[in-house]
Amino acid sequence: MIIAERKPMKELLSMVSGVKRLLIVGCRGCVAVCSAGGDKEVAILAAALRLGVKRAGGDIDIQQDTLIRQCDPEYIDPLNEKASGFDAVLSMACGVGVNFVADRCPGVNVLPALNTTFYGANLSSGEWKEMCAGCGACVLHLTGGLCPVARCAKSLSNGPCGGSQGGRCEINPDVACIWQQIYDKMSSMNRKEELRQIMPIRDWATAGHGGPRRRIREDLLP
Amino acid sequence: MMAGSNLENVLRSGTFAVTGELGPPKSGDMEAVRKKARILKGHVDAVNITDCQTAIVRMSSLTAGLIALSEGVEPVMQMTCRDRNRIGMQADILGASALGIKNLLCLTGDHQKFGNHPQAKGVFDMDSIQLLQMVKGMRDEKRFQCGEEIKKAEPKLFLGCAANPFADPFEFRPVRLAKKVDAGANFVQTQIIYNVEKFRKFMEMVCDLGLDERCFILAGVTPPKSLGMARYMKKFVPGLDVTDEVIQRLQDAKDQKEEGIDICVDVINQVRDIPGVAGVHVMAIEWEEAVPEIVKRAGLSDRPEPKGVEPILTSTSAIEEAVDKARNEARLELEGQLEKVKAEAQASRELLAKEKEKVASEISGLKKQIEEAKNIVSSKEAEIQRLTEELQRAKRALDEAHAEGAAPKPTYEAGESVAMVSSSKLTAREQQVLDSLNKGLTALKDVLGLSDAQFEAMRRFLEAEFMLQFGAAAGQVPEAEISPPPLEAVKEAPVQEAAPEEIPEEKPGRSKEVVNLVAQGNVALHAKDYKKAVEVFKKALEIAPEDEKAKEGLEEARQALQEEKEAADRAVKPKEVAGLPPCPDDIDPDEWKRKWVIRFTARGNVALMKGDYETAKKEFQKALELDPDYDKARDGLKRAEAKEDVYIPEVKPGEPVTVEAPAKEAPKKEEKVEAKEIPVEEAPEKKEAPEAKEEKAEAVSEKREAKPKAKVEISAPTGEGVGDLAVSPLPKDEPPLEERAKGIPEEVYKEPCTGVIQSVTIGDGEKAITVGGETALPFHAFEGEIPNLPKTAYEVLDAPPEEWPEVLLKHYSDVINDSAAWARKCVNEFGAEAICLSLESTDPNGANVSSADAAQVAKKVIEAVDVPIILWGCGNAEKDTETLREITSLVENRNVCIGPLTDANYRTLGATAMAFQYPVVASTPIDVNLAKQLNILLENLGVHLDHILMDPSIGAVGYGLEYTYSVMERIRLAALTQQDDKLSPPIICNIGREVWKAKETRLPTDAELGDQEKRGVLMEAITASTLLLAGGELAVLRHPKAINLTNALVQGML
Repeated sequence: MIIAERKPMKELLSMVSGVKRLLIVGCRGCVAVCSAGGDKEVAILAAALRLGVKRAGGDIDIQQDTLIRQCDPEYIDPLNEKASGFDAVLSMACGVGVNFVADRCPGVNVLPALNTTFYGANLSSGEWKEMCAGCGACVLHLTGGLCPVARCAKSLSNGPCGGSQGGRCEINPDVACIWQQIYDKMSSMNRKEELRQIMPIRDWATAGHGGPRRRIREDLLP
Repeated sequence: MMAGSNLENVLRSGTFAVTGELGPPKSGDMEAVRKKARILKGHVDAVNITDCQTAIVRMSSLTAGLIALSEGVEPVMQMTCRDRNRIGMQADILGASALGIKNLLCLTGDHQKFGNHPQAKGVFDMDSIQLLQMVKGMRDEKRFQCGEEIKKAEPKLFLGCAANPFADPFEFRPVRLAKKVDAGANFVQTQIIYNVEKFRKFMEMVCDLGLDERCFILAGVTPPKSLGMARYMKKFVPGLDVTDEVIQRLQDAKDQKEEGIDICVDVINQVRDIPGVAGVHVMAIEWEEAVPEIVKRAGLSDRPEPKGVEPILTSTSAIEEAVDKARNEARLELEGQLEKVKAEAQASRELLAKEKEKVASEISGLKKQIEEAKNIVSSKEAEIQRLTEELQRAKRALDEAHAEGAAPKPTYEAGESVAMVSSSKLTAREQQVLDSLNKGLTALKDVLGLSDAQFEAMRRFLEAEFMLQFGAAAGQVPEAEISPPPLEAVKEAPVQEAAPEEIPEEKPGRSKEVVNLVAQGNVALHAKDYKKAVEVFKKALEIAPEDEKAKEGLEEARQALQEEKEAADRAVKPKEVAGLPPCPDDIDPDEWKRKWVIRFTARGNVALMKGDYETAKKEFQKALELDPDYDKARDGLKRAEAKEDVYIPEVKPGEPVTVEAPAKEAPKKEEKVEAKEIPVEEAPEKKEAPEAKEEKAEAVSEKREAKPKAKVEISAPTGEGVGDLAVSPLPKDEPPLEERAKGIPEEVYKEPCTGVIQSVTIGDGEKAITVGGETALPFHAFEGEIPNLPKTAYEVLDAPPEEWPEVLLKHYSDVINDSAAWARKCVNEFGAEAICLSLESTDPNGANVSSADAAQVAKKVIEAVDVPIILWGCGNAEKDTETLREITSLVENRNVCIGPLTDANYRTLGATAMAFQYPVVASTPIDVNLAKQLNILLENLGVHLDHILMDPSIGAVGYGLEYTYSVMERIRLAALTQQDDKLSPPIICNIGREVWKAKETRLPTDAELGDQEKRGVLMEAITASTLLLAGGELAVLRHPKAINLTNALVQGML
């Protein structure tokens, strides 16, 4: 899932300063699940902004709407009509949604309400953790299913660095050393010998360093 | 030796090595580096130069390393993966190597979070192990990480790495070190050791892995500068194990620094006895002064003399020194030169003064001479003046005398009047005048220093003038005295009788008239009036035939006249050459003539070729008349006379001679070219040509036998039909294209492709075949790589063939009931490289043999032979899925190729193939887009393009071959020239089945169609060769002879 978090109110207030009519558009996709941009968060943000603007001596008309998803054209395209008459649309979707609105609704002034943070999992209520970097060249079969690209501070490929101590990462004692975990996991599966193999230098082209990524499945093309 | 560094030398010599550490400043202060380097110099074998340690910006390790090197301290350049990607790192490695750095310590690097720029983007393009691999590759394989070759000066570096025995997981640490050694580490420097026992344990594990034999291990030590530092390290430096004992010792110490040094020395003394430790790495962080003391106390101060520590670039101070030195030398030299130049200048000044004097005296001498000469000139002038006056006097006297003589006549007219007078008195007077004139002239000659000739000339002119004025009178003097002849006669009459009397002493035998005439002649000569001159001289000679002067003059005049005439002749000579049309103005007559020589010769040749010898002869003769030396005409004439008709002269540009000849030659050349370019179609014919003739006769005789023929053939399968199955190889003596096209720029005939065909491997082990992989159009080996030759496979059926003509069947008649034996025969007897097992019997519309039964047959076949097998279903999508799955479950350990996969069953069969990594045949009706579409579908399914053989469906010759050809060609062009990788898999052509179902292979031998077997073989071989030319890589064929022909063609052409 894509994890996101709302931008600080201060930043949002400065973003909408001067906007008279604002449409806040939420998304019922990932951001709703990670409680960043669903129906509830839209309502909260609308109320907060009304108050904030008013407190700053301003005046704003805020309407709200939440789309099923902001990453499919059928949900986005109606915005072209809905947003007419608004000075701006504040999208509470991830960066994909903001971009897609910008792409498909040429007349709409779209603003981001969230910071899109990572691909992660929900550890427990209120806690999410990065699990995947979307690097486009998965090596999880070699590392017991634990990703060193996303979860090692240096994205090491060949084992823990010298800063791994007591299962913790040197950058922060709150961060687990993923290589310690990989080692433990592989040992528990009697596969630690495999870690003796040198993982060759990576091709980062698939990780977005080869330019914007795109996928086509010809058999599904209209 | 990897790099020949001092550290490498010391370690390899077995000496216990000592390395130090130098942290570059957080500024551009070079002096700081030099200072630290000087402290360490002589006490360590090499010094690590840290690369922005703890992620704090400092002077780069490369730069600081070079400064250290300029101080005579060998650097170990540290390089981390944090700040640069592979491009920047390799660039710095090249630079470091270029500037004399020979040791490189490869580290992942501290995370940027620890440094002074925690917001920085950490690069970590690779880790330290991959960095070691990369640098080792650069050094040992001369390759950049991308695989590109380093053409010159690869970096020669002694590679090091770090190891932390105190980090977790402990038991993985030696393994990780092993990975580093595998990746290329030559030496290791460990993390700071205080916990010697744990290090000892680590070393035991390291030695168990044999790593101490494969790399040099240097134990890392650091003197704790203070208790505070020790505590800090214990608490905050991850992966550092500071023991409580150390803390205690420092706490108890009076002098913490002194104690710190002692702690360090103690650690050194302990670790040096641990097996596998080859040296120590002393890291006195910001406390370099401690190093000499530590080394001394540890008894390691006796360092070997450094070897190979020479800076390539020297430090700026050294440069300044050198500049100063050079400047001084230059100044001294310049001063010396200045002195020399000064002395030379002085000398030349003196010389100049002398020269001046000399010149002055010379000038005065010359002046004197000039004066003298002037005096002489003036005296001579005076004399001339005098003589002139005398002459004038004489003339006057003469005039007077004249006047006296002419007195009776009232008017005085010189010449005529004188001529009228005849007086002896005058003659005497005249003589006197002449005498005095002569005297004067002689004197003048002396005075003027005239040569005899000049004098003679002068005298002659004066005489002439004199004669012209007075000659008539003088000439008539004797006449008047002796007899009065008529005036005309007098003029012409010889005067020599009188003349000698008058001027006896001067010119005996030369009368004045002669002299006069000669003079006139000379004047005329001079005026280029040669005719007159001739007349005058003739006259003179009539008077005096022996007069040399006149003779000479006449000769000269005549000659001149002759020349003039010739010139005039030339000038007025008509341009026309005999028998030729008038020459155009803009052409030189000679050239005109030559043109006609050539033209006549050409006409002659034409006539010669027509057999018209008479005309030819005439023409050649005409040409020879104009130019008797013209060889071609002479040759032609000879031929015309001998009546030889063919004469093809060599072709020369610009000559109209051989207009017809090149036309005759041209088609010949073209034929040749065709033969070279399309040997495919010709080659098999060539091979067959001699046999074919024999066969015809046989065929005709066989025709009458009709049915029994087949039996005869079966009993003697190789005796008739195509005869021997063997095909002799094509000659390969053709010189390579480069040679044939010598002189033609490559780009004219080469059109290299940008794409590449996938290589697909079928089969296992040594017998596996690989097709595809080329980067050039079929057989265009001169344009790219063709790593794998096109291959052929024998088609074997899973059940006795029902519709094969006898001429084909006879080769397999003994094995048709046993597919395994059939396959074996193909391999053992015919040398098949691959077998294509056609599962025809499974067709639900035919025999509908069950999949299980067919699978058993297939299994037997697969087990019978070790060559690659292609399993070709019946074409019914559902049944093929069933059958092929059945077979693969039986033979999963053999790498067979399965097909045909169509859009109806690609999912099921594709998944099967993907699971077993089988190559597949993707079959589509003849169409580029359909072929591409199926490849895309298969790729999306997960079947890689290098596991696909495209079957575009083919037609035999006469049955749509052209269509197949153009479709295949387009597929190939798309893959190779438009990089359409979705069309890049190799192409398989199932040819045998198409050819042998054609009517032409089934009609019996007859006179019109020829031998049946030959016909079939040729149809199959020609279809195969054509499709290989179009881009096929694998041909499935039936007749052994056709296969041999196809193979011979491939071998011959590639």
